Amino acid sequence: MKRSLAIIGIIGLIVCFSVMVMTGCAKKTGVKEQAVSAEEQAAAEQGKAKADADAKARADEEARLAAEQRAKEAEAKVAPQAEAAAQQETMTSKDVLFDFDKFSLKPESRDILKQLAEWLNNNKNNILLIEGNCDERGTTEYNLALGERRAKEAMKYLVELGVDGKRIKTISYGKERPLDPAHTEEAWTKNRRDHFVVTSK
Amino acid sequence: MVLFMSCRNIGCFIRLVALTVVMLSILCLPHNAAAKVYIDIDSPAFQKFPIAIVDFRKISQQGYQGELSGWFSDTLAKYLEMTGFFNIISKKAFIEDQKQAGLTVESTRFADWAVIGAEYLVKGAFQSNGRDLASELHLFDVIKGEVITAKQYTGKIEDRNEMVRKFAGEILLALTGDEGVFGTKIAFILKKGQNSDIYTINFDGTELLRVTNLQSLTLAPRWSPDGKFISFTSYRNGNPDLYIRSMSIGKVEKIANFDGLNLAGSWSRDGRKLLLTLSKDGNEEIYTMDLGSRKLERLTHNFAIDVSPAWSPDNKRIAFVSNRSGSPQIFTMGADGDDVKRLTYDGNYNTSPSWSPRGNRVAYEGRVNGRFQIFSTNEDGSSSSQLTFDNADHESPSWSPDGRYLAFSTRGGGKHRICVMNANGLNVRVLYESVSGSMSPSWSPKIK
Repeated sequence: MKRSLAIIGIIGLIVCFSVMVMTGCAKKTGVKEQAVSAEEQAAAEQGKAKADADAKARADEEARLAAEQRAKEAEAKVAPQAEAAAQQETMTSKDVLFDFDKFSLKPESRDILKQLAEWLNNNKNNILLIEGNCDERGTTEYNLALGERRAKEAMKYLVELGVDGKRIKTISYGKERPLDPAHTEEAWTKNRRDHFVVTSK
Repeated sequence: MVLFMSCRNIGCFIRLVALTVVMLSILCLPHNAAAKVYIDIDSPAFQKFPIAIVDFRKISQQGYQGELSGWFSDTLAKYLEMTGFFNIISKKAFIEDQKQAGLTVESTRFADWAVIGAEYLVKGAFQSNGRDLASELHLFDVIKGEVITAKQYTGKIEDRNEMVRKFAGEILLALTGDEGVFGTKIAFILKKGQNSDIYTINFDGTELLRVTNLQSLTLAPRWSPDGKFISFTSYRNGNPDLYIRSMSIGKVEKIANFDGLNLAGSWSRDGRKLLLTLSKDGNEEIYTMDLGSRKLERLTHNFAIDVSPAWSPDNKRIAFVSNRSGSPQIFTMGADGDDVKRLTYDGNYNTSPSWSPRGNRVAYEGRVNGRFQIFSTNEDGSSSSQLTFDNADHESPSWSPDGRYLAFSTRGGGKHRICVMNANGLNVRVLYESVSGSMSPSWSPKIK
């Protein structure tokens, strides 16, 4: 019986000890845990904040870069377009003018055509229509022929300057489509012209 | 339509009043002699025919209430004046007592007409019933004291202009051997903004009609010799292509659409061929096209501009414009393109040749002191004469089918006009005036 009691006592002690140990351990680890947890939490919080900040910074940076990229891309896209349009407009806003009943190119006309040829050679996706025109004096029919000569003369020169003739079309409107409908020398000067129209292929 | 017959007394024409069917039956009067000697109205020495036209006698007038006596005489005077060959004597000068006088030789006091300078005299009568109208017209030779021609017409009130026009034609036929061009039309281009269309107007300035409505630039109309077709160039498909339009059914057919210019010159007299200007071979050259087979024959081989071909009436020669000598000048060549001769030498801009149907003259426009004027010259280039002189630009001459008139366009003072004048440059009459631009007249043949 004594032995039984002793065993019970030992077991009890063990249990107690175990419990003590367990609780003691538990206590200790609990604090420790707590401490670690706080540290960790702080660290985690700190890390998170940092990560967040980093992420934000990265995002910001990315956004900035993306925006920059977009801007660059847009710029890359728009700038040549705008430039091309501006150039195209410059190229086609200049008419080549002629003397009365003449279709030979004047020196200033050759300059205009040189610029146009250079532009056409750099913009191979574009095709050119040359419209030959005359002033109102003289016959419809002779002026249709003269307008055609004016357009073809410019075309010939552009081909000499290396532009593929297949990219150029000509049409004569004779005296029928005056730029300035007035019946003055000034209007006639403007109306004896080759007009250029550039379009994409 | 107007029915007309010759008849000597008023009684018989009354029976014609009810007739509305078109019927032509000319009973020549016995004294309308066969071997008629005509006065040469083309001679420079020609003096206008002095003619008196008496107000028409009213036999009866029922229904239509408008004034017709004076209308008949005034309208006939207007038509005769239009020809440029008549001097109409003022009614105020008339001394013959109309109450005593009649329509016959016997009842006409020729001395009363000779004394006021009339060499010719027209008397007439009319009667109307409802919308029906009958008229009778007599032309007298005052000097000889005889009837030259007499005609009767029946139709509707609204046909009265045509009755007078037909009798004016009869007077011309009797005196000159040709009935004139009263029934002809002039086609021309009327611009509206960037576009233009073909219109026609009658020789007397009436009946403006729109022929095309293509919503594009349409240019250079030319009549076929039977008046049933008009060729023209239009940008309706972007390029200046060549078309022919049937005047009766309005069908438009594309004839040529080569690269570059496709322009029609004149039609051959049998209507089977067209003279063309094409630039498909690199520069403007003249071709003929057989309208049946569409086969082309190239006539010119020259690096210069060759344009505006026009056949001589016998189709043996072709007048055209070329700048092969440095400035645009008129040349002629044989029907096969050989035997080229230069026609014009004066000035540095001569274009738009039109060959007279009589064969002897070529009309063209030339630049003098910065202005374009109409000229005509013999087919060998001799005796060129300037026909217009005023301070405007005169362009695109086109002969009437009888070769006695020229249609042309003028530009000046902000106005564009389609005009006609006698072959000697006199008697200029404006048929149409616009601000937007009227040009390129082409005279029709006599339309049957």
